[in-house]
Amino acid sequence: MNDENKAGQEENSEDRFRILVCIDGSDESYRGLKYAAKLGGGIDADIVLLYVRPIDQGLRSGGLQVDVARSNMLDWGLELPGIKYLKKGRDMLVELGVLGEDWEEQHFHSDVSGTTLGDNKIDYVSKNGKKVVLKLKVATDIASGVLDQWEIGRYDLIIVGASSRWKGGFKSFWDPAVAEKIVVHAPCSVIIARDLEAGNGHLICTDGSEAAMHTVRSDAYLASRCKCPISLIAVSHDIEGEEEAKANIEAARKELKGMGIDVVDAIVKVGNPVDEIIEAGPDYSLIVLADSGKSGLERFFMGSVAFKVMENAHNSVMIVR
Amino acid sequence: MIKRLGNVDSVTKVPKALSRAVPKTITKAVPRLLKRRKNYLYFWQKRWFFIALAVGWGLLSMPLPDGLTQQGMIILTMSIVATILFITEPVPLPTVALMIIVGQVFLMGVDSKEVAKSMMSDSVLFIMGSLMLAVAVVKQKLDTRIAWLLVRVTGTSTARIAFGISFVSGILASFVGEHTVAAMMLPVGITIIQLTSDDPKKVRNLAAVLLFSISYGCSVAGIGTPSGGARNAIMIGYWKEFFYDPTNPETFMFLIDYVHWMMYAYPLFLLQLPFVTMILLFTFRPEYRNLSRAIVKLRHKVEEQGKMKVGDWAAIIIFFITLLGWIFASSDYGMGTIAIFGAVIFLASGLVKWPDINSGVNWGVVLLYGAAISLGLQMMETGAAIWIAEHFLAILAPLGADSGIGLWAAVSALTTLVTNTMSNGAAVAVLGPIVLKLAVAADESPIVIGYITAISSAFAYLTVVGTPASTIVYASGYLKTTDFLKVGWKMALASTIIMLFGAAVYWPLLGV
Repeated sequence: MNDENKAGQEENSEDRFRILVCIDGSDESYRGLKYAAKLGGGIDADIVLLYVRPIDQGLRSGGLQVDVARSNMLDWGLELPGIKYLKKGRDMLVELGVLGEDWEEQHFHSDVSGTTLGDNKIDYVSKNGKKVVLKLKVATDIASGVLDQWEIGRYDLIIVGASSRWKGGFKSFWDPAVAEKIVVHAPCSVIIARDLEAGNGHLICTDGSEAAMHTVRSDAYLASRCKCPISLIAVSHDIEGEEEAKANIEAARKELKGMGIDVVDAIVKVGNPVDEIIEAGPDYSLIVLADSGKSGLERFFMGSVAFKVMENAHNSVMIVR
Repeated sequence: MIKRLGNVDSVTKVPKALSRAVPKTITKAVPRLLKRRKNYLYFWQKRWFFIALAVGWGLLSMPLPDGLTQQGMIILTMSIVATILFITEPVPLPTVALMIIVGQVFLMGVDSKEVAKSMMSDSVLFIMGSLMLAVAVVKQKLDTRIAWLLVRVTGTSTARIAFGISFVSGILASFVGEHTVAAMMLPVGITIIQLTSDDPKKVRNLAAVLLFSISYGCSVAGIGTPSGGARNAIMIGYWKEFFYDPTNPETFMFLIDYVHWMMYAYPLFLLQLPFVTMILLFTFRPEYRNLSRAIVKLRHKVEEQGKMKVGDWAAIIIFFITLLGWIFASSDYGMGTIAIFGAVIFLASGLVKWPDINSGVNWGVVLLYGAAISLGLQMMETGAAIWIAEHFLAILAPLGADSGIGLWAAVSALTTLVTNTMSNGAAVAVLGPIVLKLAVAADESPIVIGYITAISSAFAYLTVVGTPASTIVYASGYLKTTDFLKVGWKMALASTIIMLFGAAVYWPLLGV
């Protein structure tokens, strides 16, 4: 039915809205999936569920490949965690009505050396071309697996659960949390899901820059997909900047008006941007921020508002690119 | 279903102007952005490799510290760089092993023949052989038999099953190695959990108790015999290498054989077993006190398999021959040779296929152990080990931990810390020479300190990567990393106290 869809390769269609949801079996990842179902309910959207299994280094299991244990589990007729998680995600989509039981099902498999399972993919395609994909991928580590998947598929949005490890500063310095790594490197917008609940609307942060205006436009597009209300926030460091912040809000409001979208709340605050945004955040489903555009080195030394908010926020954050 | 789908379609109508305006700007910017990101990504992923090299270069260009030779400084630098690479993994781990070989020849000017020789010792042969045996044993599918025996003895109460699992896992693991038993028992544990309830949320605590019974049962057992873990074999190798002198009868005590090791360590393992179950039941409080439904189903499952076959018996017999070989002949022929011998019989008899062994053993790890031991030997020869030992002792002295039980606790804490970040075998290989020299400098028995190091390297209960059994059990997907923290510190505390008690009260009875 889809001619260009051959040998497990996803086609690169530019006019479809493609969402990549990273599933790791946690409740957070399934909340992310629910949100994806809301964003990607339309026929022009595809949802891809991805589970990445890191390749064994062997050292940690004392030189015995964990696969020996995995194949022993398979021999007992037990399902491996990755497949189980993905199937649970699929059942959720069916329950939500995004995935129909009559959709055409295609299986793909490609071997990866050194593992029993290799890469596995199940495509579900509806009659009007909408696709839901379950993918189990083997990669050196989870974040690279997710980023590799982007290379194949070109997604518009990646949804990933915030790792619980995030706040352990010491550990994450050695081995940056998966979510953080994905956000830093992904070429598209990323939602970090943290108690993600749909329905409370988006809070867009604006500082009047071109990147911020782009964020406003992009998020307007996204919010219209899920019919989420949009609010704006601008923070100035001191009283003198307050006027400018108000002007920034007005500019964004005008932009949205031009697209036919009404702004619910417009918040102007004075203080530390990171703290103010985090404080205002929990009233909304998502805090929306522009990628700072700083390079890695600058970010390393100075940090950026976007990254600090992302790390410390109490609810979900979307970085728009 | 279709009706609901129709609904969803109508919900998300995107204004046309919008859908056109945005994605175009995104797609246009992608190729340039992607290229920049790719370059950046490459260096970001390898950043620890460059940091490690920079640290190494910095250390080598520093003036020599007092009392350390140039050679000693190089080997010290190499171990620090290797440790950074071990922990951060910017390059595939076997690469580190290869770097150690290259570094010894190029940087230190050691003869390549010497380096090659130090790479493959009896300990490395033992690690290789026992890994092959591990795959062979797992492939025999004796797990169902073990499960059946287990539930026949324990009955259906959760607490008794939990103790039964850790007891059986422990006894087996003390001889076969913890990874083998963890791989074998994992399906047994999961089957019991799944037969109790399909919903993982309803059996979370039960799952934690049963699975931790496997992993901690195996971990505490790894200390029991020399074949229980690679680290034990490495320590035995170090004792012999460093202290044994064929012309001096007084040094014969440093030749530790299988039975000798068991006399010291096995009682400590047995003493820990009841604590495993108690701590687990106390920490997780399982949802079901009785698992009779699951056990009945499990019995049915096992009975489907029929009677024991000839191959099953043959596998058990071969394994017992190997075990007897270790106990009675390892001091003459080396533990490594006997492990290899066992693997030979399994392969020759056709009970296991070579491709299974080839894909089940991570050969890079064998290489890594070889390189780590070679590094350890160089640390010894160049005097780097004694230099660190003396400085470490100088730090401990003001704390009153430079002798006796204080020193033991310090060594144990150091080992526990290092093991939680890398594998326990590698930790012992790197720390071994240092702590043995520490014992000499502090006028303590190197045997006691050696045991303490080897045994506390099993106390990596806190992290998933700490012990092989934990890593394997974690792969089942039923446990969270936080579970390890929740129960791990209690286990580490209990184990350390039991070990120090053994070192202070029990070992003197054996005349150390």
